[in-house]
Amino acid sequence: MEYAMNALFRQKYKSIFILIIFTSLIFLLTSVFFISNAIKYELHSTVESLPEITVQKIQAGRQQNINVNVIEKILEIAGVQDAVGRVWGYYYFQNAGVNFSVMGIDEFENQSTQSLENIVQKSDFDKAMENDSMIVGEGVKRILQDNYYKEYFNFIKPNGTLKQVNIQGTFSSNTQLESNDVILLAKQTALEIFGMNEEEVTDIVVKVANEKEISMIASKIKLLLPDTRVITKEDFKVSYKNIFDYKSGVFLALFIVALFTFFIVIYDKSSGLSSEEKREIGILKAIGWTVDDVLKEKFYESFILSFVAYLLGVILSFAFVYIGQAPILREIFVGYSQLKTSFELPFVFDVQTLFLSLFLTVPVYIAATIIPSWKSATIETDEVIR
Amino acid sequence: MNNKSKITLGILIALISILVLEVIYISVKKKNSISQKNEFVSLLQLPDLAICTEATYLRHRSMSTTASIFKDDPLLLEYFPATFTYKASSLTKNTPQQITTP
Repeated sequence: MEYAMNALFRQKYKSIFILIIFTSLIFLLTSVFFISNAIKYELHSTVESLPEITVQKIQAGRQQNINVNVIEKILEIAGVQDAVGRVWGYYYFQNAGVNFSVMGIDEFENQSTQSLENIVQKSDFDKAMENDSMIVGEGVKRILQDNYYKEYFNFIKPNGTLKQVNIQGTFSSNTQLESNDVILLAKQTALEIFGMNEEEVTDIVVKVANEKEISMIASKIKLLLPDTRVITKEDFKVSYKNIFDYKSGVFLALFIVALFTFFIVIYDKSSGLSSEEKREIGILKAIGWTVDDVLKEKFYESFILSFVAYLLGVILSFAFVYIGQAPILREIFVGYSQLKTSFELPFVFDVQTLFLSLFLTVPVYIAATIIPSWKSATIETDEVIR
Repeated sequence: MNNKSKITLGILIALISILVLEVIYISVKKKNSISQKNEFVSLLQLPDLAICTEATYLRHRSMSTTASIFKDDPLLLEYFPATFTYKASSLTKNTPQQITTP
């Protein structure tokens, strides 16, 4: 092993260059995989809380508001425990150029004293429920404060008039990945803000007691209401599983570039040894080293280099994603959104990714080093020294 | 063993222990607030994370289809860079329109 270390130090610059390239490659690939797996994990951990069936009305390929009369028809289906119309949508705040997701729920006042206690941080001021009030996500609060709305916000209704709604509280920062752009208010207020009349809802959520009956009830609803799209919890699970397509888009570009870089280095290593290295092997054989010893030395040399590069890449990647919140790479996942969330991802110790990057880099590099050395080690000694 | 091989082994062991310590530190530091998140989602009943809010078909990706991108204007195809990261939902069954998934 001493000889291997000496050999590495003798070719200092080349070794450092290869070390840096491999470390960067592994760092980049594992960071992207860590982020995408953490997002998937976050989605999967909350999928069971989603509604069993969601019914949307589709007209001319676009989602439209659905009439509340339809709810009674759905309630008549056997197995349906409850069917509730929801009012929700997007409000575009022009000053900041952001979209807020606005959700109106029934019995907002009752809700806010009981189940919301866990997830809402109460504000300092004490605005009771006398006026219309709302609970906002942290991102919304920040945007509103930047635009000088500290205690209330004026929604611009479709008819041009303003609607003032007080900010009652903020959602806990632990839920930031889900709640960052959400505004929760009473259904009546939401209807006013969107200019919808009382007989319309955005979609209908159906509660089914028995999980096994969900698909049957979904097909019954579809037969009953042919102009609707019926989404079950199973569809959400499938959609979450397929969120990232590794064969297209950004991921494909990344993999092609990484593979290309990797193979350039491998090709350089495996396209035969330089005459200096061949002479070195010849001299070693002349002083008594066997072919086995030469190969062992080459193995140590390449193993140390590639394994150190792997460890460095993984250490940097963990720190980059989970401690530093992935400063530049997260722009791939965030896009043009003006409403940025803090990228506090859940920690997933992804054994698969680690083993994949280990077995794709280290053995390939070792093989690329050993094979040409073996070729020249098996040639006659005196030929090589000449 | 020679000095150099001791140094090599030392470097390898140091790197492995830094990695282990880092993993332990991160897993301890990250608070696992799954119950709060589940409570929030069961209150709101809407899917998908609020990471990408630039377009409605990205924000609530699971409730949109491949054709949602056309709902505003056919010329707005692939306008946002995040559509290259997130795949369109494969939710084409039960949709009252004829689409084949690309």
